[in-house]
Amino acid sequence: MPNVIETHKLSKRFGQRIAVDSLDLQVAAGEIYGFLGPNGAGKTTTIAMLLALVKPTSGQAFVLGYDIQKNASEALQGVGAMVEAPAFYPYLSGWDNLRVFASAAGLPNSAIERALSMVDLSTRAKDKFRTYSQGMKQRLGIAAALLHDPKLIILDEPTNGLDPAGTVELRELIRSLAADGRTVFISSHLLHEVEHICSRVAILKSGKIVREGAVAELLKRDQGLLLDLASEHERAAQLLRQLAWVADVRVVGKQLEVEAPSERAAELNMFLAQQGIAVSGIRARESSLEELFLELTQTTS
Amino acid sequence: MLIKLLKAEWIKLVHRPMTKTLLLIFLLMTALILSLYFVVVGLALGSFGFQVALFNPVQIEQYRLQLSFPGMFGAILGQVNGIGGICAIIITAGAIGSEYNWGTLRAQLARQPNRAMYLTAKLIAIMLLLLIAILLAQALGLVLAFVFGGLLGSVGSVNAGDLINLPIAILRSLYVLLPYVLFTAACSIFGRSVLAGTAGGMIFLTTDLVLGGLSFLPNTDGLLAFVYSLLVQQNINSLVVRNAYSFGLDPSIALSRFLDLAILPSQLQAVIVIAVYCLSFGATAYYWFLKRDLTGAA
Repeated sequence: MPNVIETHKLSKRFGQRIAVDSLDLQVAAGEIYGFLGPNGAGKTTTIAMLLALVKPTSGQAFVLGYDIQKNASEALQGVGAMVEAPAFYPYLSGWDNLRVFASAAGLPNSAIERALSMVDLSTRAKDKFRTYSQGMKQRLGIAAALLHDPKLIILDEPTNGLDPAGTVELRELIRSLAADGRTVFISSHLLHEVEHICSRVAILKSGKIVREGAVAELLKRDQGLLLDLASEHERAAQLLRQLAWVADVRVVGKQLEVEAPSERAAELNMFLAQQGIAVSGIRARESSLEELFLELTQTTS
Repeated sequence: MLIKLLKAEWIKLVHRPMTKTLLLIFLLMTALILSLYFVVVGLALGSFGFQVALFNPVQIEQYRLQLSFPGMFGAILGQVNGIGGICAIIITAGAIGSEYNWGTLRAQLARQPNRAMYLTAKLIAIMLLLLIAILLAQALGLVLAFVFGGLLGSVGSVNAGDLINLPIAILRSLYVLLPYVLFTAACSIFGRSVLAGTAGGMIFLTTDLVLGGLSFLPNTDGLLAFVYSLLVQQNINSLVVRNAYSFGLDPSIALSRFLDLAILPSQLQAVIVIAVYCLSFGATAYYWFLKRDLTGAA
């Protein structure tokens, strides 16, 4: 599959501070790609470079096959984006705000109607933007990004301010956009959401990618077993540490966290039973993206 | 592309409450100033049942001419280059600076990255709005000329020459607003805010007025007089005074003896000098707009 976004050693320096450091990124067509990182990791600066808002200090960025520094107009014709907070003219209605964007792009009113209905904002379209709730503003931002039916959609923190129902709706909308063959690039701090909708993610720290790959693959790395014991936790831990296929054992409250292949759960249960230790529960432990994120962004330098 | 962007800019500009408020203020101030002229002339001529001469008869005649045709055309354009200048600064600072304040500039340029085209469309939209404001002010002048002129006993008349002069004079008025618009645009872009634009524009306007106070300098000889003739204010005055003369008015009698075409720069010099100022302010604005990164909202 051709890459919709591709960066080579992309870097941005603001004075002495390096915001983005030799970033190599590949996003394939049709993917829902999660771009994660703590505040100040360089997510928004990267997005701004992909949208020709910020000039890279060095390196290259290609969007839809075009070099963004040389052919920004051609590249951005196929891109719909919402950068940081949804920014609109407060004195205009939602409809008129979209009319501004539609007029600049030469789009008909039907494009506005379509985009508003996609985000379920048609009934409040004639109200002033300044009267909108945060969630409605967010939805208008997404409508503006979808206005010209782009091939690539870049959303920076799209779920900010959305209520749970709105978040679920957005998740479905993003899935349907990808199902139609569009590529969605999401920067978010809501890791639970990203885990559920993204096919691949990159975790950014201090301008560098510290982990990148398919979500399922990333989570599989930290598999293990959780054991519920009524008593003798320390003895059980000592016994288990003697097994060659157990990497580590930790006692957490009334549970044991055992780093071992989940398919050996029955074997492990039998071993403890033979030692006279009763196991009341045993299940596979999968680390969440949130745990992985915290681990990587707090420890990787 | 430019037409599409212009359409988008026009939607933003005409729907903005500030635009309507400033237009209303401009028209009200214009009407108020001409009403004061009417009171002054009426008192001098005894139109209110008693006579009070606040100015000499030659000056009173100049004020009376501004309240009838064709002088009213010149009087209105005189206000365009006074109050209108302040309004132009505020509109420009608002139109450009607000895009930074609201963060909408990033949203716009993320879709349309041709920044030169974007800024051009914005500046054209501002100048079109100013043209419409001038036309509305002229429409107000028509009404006031009939009312005040009628009450003072002479509405005056308009001949073919006046009708030919009017569009030329309107273009002159727009042209002298251009340096203010471009300087304000450059300040708004440099400071990335409405405040920076308004402050810059107002400082420029005030400096202009202060330098205008040194109007005895043209009477000196040599380098000083030459340098003074290159100041933007002198050249703006040259075109503004020409507008007044073309409709039978003489600002050197009504306002200041230094507003005399004999001592002001020639029309050709005025056009060239103002063009040089516009080019330098415009180039600065475009340079900053094109070169600088668009980081987060201010």
